[in-house]
Amino acid sequence: MAYSDKVIDHYNNPRNIGSLPKDDKQVGTGIVGAPECGDVMKLQIKVKNDVIVDARFKTFGCGSAIASSSLATEWLKGRTVEEAGNIKNTDIVQELNLPPVKIHCSVLAEDAIKAALEDYKKKSAGPAATTAVAK
Amino acid sequence: METVKKEIPMARSMCWHCQSDVGGEYFCGQCVKVQPLSKDIDYFTCLGLPRKLNIDTGRLETKFYEMSRAFHPDFYEGKSEIERAVSLTNSAVLNQAYRTLKDPAARVEYLLRLEAGSAKDIPGKAPTDLFETLLEIQEQLEQLRAMKHSKSGEARSIASQLHAEKGALESKRGALERRLTELFHVWDRLVDRSSQDQIAKAEKGPVLTEMRDIVSQRNYLNTMLTNIEEALA
Repeated sequence: MAYSDKVIDHYNNPRNIGSLPKDDKQVGTGIVGAPECGDVMKLQIKVKNDVIVDARFKTFGCGSAIASSSLATEWLKGRTVEEAGNIKNTDIVQELNLPPVKIHCSVLAEDAIKAALEDYKKKSAGPAATTAVAK
Repeated sequence: METVKKEIPMARSMCWHCQSDVGGEYFCGQCVKVQPLSKDIDYFTCLGLPRKLNIDTGRLETKFYEMSRAFHPDFYEGKSEIERAVSLTNSAVLNQAYRTLKDPAARVEYLLRLEAGSAKDIPGKAPTDLFETLLEIQEQLEQLRAMKHSKSGEARSIASQLHAEKGALESKRGALERRLTELFHVWDRLVDRSSQDQIAKAEKGPVLTEMRDIVSQRNYLNTMLTNIEEALA
């Protein structure tokens, strides 16, 4: 199976690799995994005035998983929190031209985005709201 | 080939050739034509086994060889197109069934899919702590790869840290394996009881969930351990 040029590009030059301070109130962290293949993806966003100003990722997995998360961080920057929630795995599949066997990598990236957004929303709503969510 | 495939009737109750009742047998009692395996037959049923996790591999093998001989495409040379297609499809299903059930890891993953539609449907908790550990180890691996063939003190210290991590992950995996073995027995006892016992049916859910969590953690550990071994080699 051959990877598309875009996947190879992201794999060789991953964008926005790294971490943001996890305890920062402006930072949302999403860590997700795919048990079928053992891949793990961590995606973080930094939000100011409801706009994502920075996004970082760390992925332990195959080329498509790395490319999917790299692309996701590129797309996240500059979007509002609400717009970020509209990113769909199918958009990633299309952009990276992922073959059917690698679609789960894009699903993982979408899950990571959702988890990061959720974490941010929980944090920004304050501790009182967090307890309410927990119930 | 495609058109022939469509012509293979999937109903197992009636012979595709002479329409007599075949009653689940692989060969029609009237005209002795080979019958297609049902499209949605599960691998346990296919090989005549109960849906249990500890299986008699000797019995599995005997049954597999017996069925292989019955369906093998070599014996269908010169037969009709439908019979050749049936022999080919049946052999493929049978081989896949045998490969899956022979291996305990594949077997439990298959059972989880079978019992839940998809393994993902059983809600499991994501092992976030494990993820954090794996990402940290991943970073060390990358550092070590960047210093490839370097004999510097730093490279040696990362390598020795990775050796320690590897040991910790291996013992974690060992603990998971032991628990999984226990759960295999728990599951099999539930299967024995559940034909007449409703409570046993209800108890299956939690056992499947725990097995699902262990299997998925084991997959993460296996992938990481392979990577560490490659980096240290």
